[in-house]
Amino acid sequence: MSPSVRRFAPASVIAGAFVFSVAGTAQSSTAPADLVIKNATVMTASHGTIQHGTVWVHNGKIAGVGATVSAPAGATVVDATGKYVTPGIIDPHSHSALGDDVNEATSPITPSMMMIDAFDNRDKALYLALAGGVTSELLLHGSANMIGGQAVVIKNKFGLSREEMLFPNAPQSIKFASGENPKRVYGTRNQLPSTRMGNFEVMRQSFEDAKVYRREWDAYNEKVAKGDKDARPPHRDLKLEALADILRGKLLVQIHCYRADEFLTEEAMAKEYGYKIRAFHHALEMYKVGGKIAADGTGIATFTDWYGGKYEMWDGIPWNAVMSMREGVRVALKSDSNDHIRRLNQEAGKMVHYGGATEDEAITMVTLNPAWIMGIDDKTGSLDVGKDGDVVIWNMDPLSTYARAEKVYIDGDLFFDSSLPGFGTTHFTGVMHGSGFGAGEDDDDDQGEN
Amino acid sequence: MLKNFFVDRFAVLWTLLVYLIFGPAALLAQAPMVDVTPGPGTIAITGGKVLTVSHGVIENGVVLIEGGKISAVGTAASVKVPKGATIVDAKGMTVYPGLIDSETRLGLSEIAADRMTNDTVEPSEEIFPQMHVYDAFHAESEHIPITRFNGITNAIVAPADTDTIPGQDSFIQLAGRDRDSMLMVKDVALAMNFGQAPKRGARGEAAGPTGGHYPATRMGEISQMRQALLDAQESMARRARPAAGDDSAAAPAASGRGAAGSNSLRNEALVPYLKGEKPVVLGVYDGHDVETAMAFAQEFHLKVILSHVTRAQDVLDKIASYHVPVIVGPIFDLPEANERYDAVYSLPGELAKRGVKVILASYNVSNSRNLPYSAGFAVAYGLPYDEAMKSITLNAAEAFGLGDKLGSLDVGKIANVVIADGDPLDVRTSVKQVYINGVAVPMETRQTRLRDEYWPKK
Repeated sequence: MSPSVRRFAPASVIAGAFVFSVAGTAQSSTAPADLVIKNATVMTASHGTIQHGTVWVHNGKIAGVGATVSAPAGATVVDATGKYVTPGIIDPHSHSALGDDVNEATSPITPSMMMIDAFDNRDKALYLALAGGVTSELLLHGSANMIGGQAVVIKNKFGLSREEMLFPNAPQSIKFASGENPKRVYGTRNQLPSTRMGNFEVMRQSFEDAKVYRREWDAYNEKVAKGDKDARPPHRDLKLEALADILRGKLLVQIHCYRADEFLTEEAMAKEYGYKIRAFHHALEMYKVGGKIAADGTGIATFTDWYGGKYEMWDGIPWNAVMSMREGVRVALKSDSNDHIRRLNQEAGKMVHYGGATEDEAITMVTLNPAWIMGIDDKTGSLDVGKDGDVVIWNMDPLSTYARAEKVYIDGDLFFDSSLPGFGTTHFTGVMHGSGFGAGEDDDDDQGEN
Repeated sequence: MLKNFFVDRFAVLWTLLVYLIFGPAALLAQAPMVDVTPGPGTIAITGGKVLTVSHGVIENGVVLIEGGKISAVGTAASVKVPKGATIVDAKGMTVYPGLIDSETRLGLSEIAADRMTNDTVEPSEEIFPQMHVYDAFHAESEHIPITRFNGITNAIVAPADTDTIPGQDSFIQLAGRDRDSMLMVKDVALAMNFGQAPKRGARGEAAGPTGGHYPATRMGEISQMRQALLDAQESMARRARPAAGDDSAAAPAASGRGAAGSNSLRNEALVPYLKGEKPVVLGVYDGHDVETAMAFAQEFHLKVILSHVTRAQDVLDKIASYHVPVIVGPIFDLPEANERYDAVYSLPGELAKRGVKVILASYNVSNSRNLPYSAGFAVAYGLPYDEAMKSITLNAAEAFGLGDKLGSLDVGKIANVVIADGDPLDVRTSVKQVYINGVAVPMETRQTRLRDEYWPKK
């Protein structure tokens, strides 16, 4: 379809690909076999910054990064003299492309909600993020429920099909919430929970139920494994099944949580029931207890400088990210917003202002660290050989206010090029669906004002 | 319950006791006030890169401050630092005028989710020019030092945009020992809003103060506003030339509200705007609403500042033809479904290219401190740097009638001066010192106190 396909693939292969794509199995990739970006300032996110560096992507994977990588013959070569190259920006907390379906706010425990069922791959927010250099997102359930739904991990291949935008083999994450949102949502209806005691009681009861359910299924599976043909399967309950998966450690637990005391309560709860917390999201008071949470191996996905919208955000300070990092916490920055997702690189730049992060530390907060939170850091998040070719070329240091993403590659394929007319998209045709600001707070009316 | 609490004298005593023990700082949202009465002597800020905004950049410049005013600006060679002056070494630093945020709710909202700490708009009627934000302005808001911390020294505080005429804005100095000393102009402009936001029932509410009644359409909004302005004009005319036997001009109105010819607060409040003595700020997003609002303003010969215009890409030439200042933004508004990703980012540049005096604003409380980065984004997408600096300083001061007092580093202006360690518009830059009225303001906020309390020891 695109010129590059004609250049790099013989006609028979294109015909074959066409047949496959009708069958729905082919990747509609137009990536060159070899992409070489040279003469750039390369911020690797894992091993520092390379001056006059080269990034070589072969068949969608990074094949070389350094000052002395030589381009193979026939490669598509991009001269990035004077420009910067980073791994794709990764947002570990987005509600983009979920329309009005962010919160199933009808029960405080809804772990069987699958965000994939609401995922709209033509939502304009995905394009806006792509144009800001974002190559992967964790699309989360909102924060109305103590245990919300299971997230979608996407590669931001805007213009491709829903299936092609899913991050291959990414671990499944589940969203928890705590504090003011659940207690407000249910409390204003005079339902449980309306206090923080209620919040945690609801969780405990759910896990108690899940323990029983898990025992029943474990016993059944054991019988089947022993060859018992008469074993009768217990009733299958989607909610309890998802809760049991949490107890089995099969889901990455992502918790919306602001206050220092609640981090400790959540960690105690996790220990009580035997699961691990992958990350606290928002986490505005992490600077108060960072050392303890670092010891639990839990990361954070935090705002840079939002504070004050509600009481549990009142102690938010913009130094939180850097202070927590200095205490040993793995820190990612995130958007929680269809606006901020467009400029996470500048949000990272603020970390130089607020706390004196080095530029390499700052860039890691929007690439490798969010990749870890999502469990995809073995595949993306830094410029290392063997990782996916998710690469952004910037007109200047991406941490500057004036930085613009010029070209965005995912798996070595060009998905956005700001020099192109129109939207600058390479794979998108048709109509984008409008999107709002996309907050998951269930009180976004307030977010606008403060 | 709340009522019981206040009548319970033990509770009152207990509250007093807590106050006496812990002092005001222990209470929510009571930032320490800063006295900016100028002291004796001269302050000389030397060696910095001085962005005057009005007359270029001076490398290795000197700014002298005396009696709260700027007394000299120039090169090290041209400005003589008087003996005994307090020397502030700004070598390697950037020195620039304090930034002005042209629309905020600072002092009207502390915690957005808590109604008791919000006084942003009176929703019970649509037309309330007699509402004055200075009556609600909370000078001790914790957001104010936090905003100041990033070099913003002045703000126009405006009511929220959900009434067509929600009230009059105040021009604020962001430091002072009390509210009165922070109010530079109590009624600086009249806010007027058009289009979707002020509609009653716009979000489908069936009833309630802002739902399900007149005006529920744009026609209703304009008709109601036109009636209000005609009433005020009529009242002005009657007062100027009372008819024989008509004592309505002299006598106070039976009801304070609205009625034609009555001597109401509402009519009185509109007078300076109908006379064109003060500006109205027209809050309008869409292109067709811009045209409607401007036609309305021209009908009454109002002195206009346009605001928002983030969905008005189709009428940029027309906007330029009005020859009015335009507050653009928020620049982080999302583009429409059929627009390119940078459609809003590039608006300030596109308007400036057409000769428009561009102004930027946060339209916010806790995000007011990010004002300089809005200007930076405008630069990244086409606004010349000098115009970007003006958009958050001089252009704002001039539009609101304070161009002779603020907005640039010029002799005789109020000494609102900022020293930062780099480009003021870059997110990586830290402000080192803010002067308001020539007084060095403590670079301390509720947030720095928390930072210092918990800063990692190792």
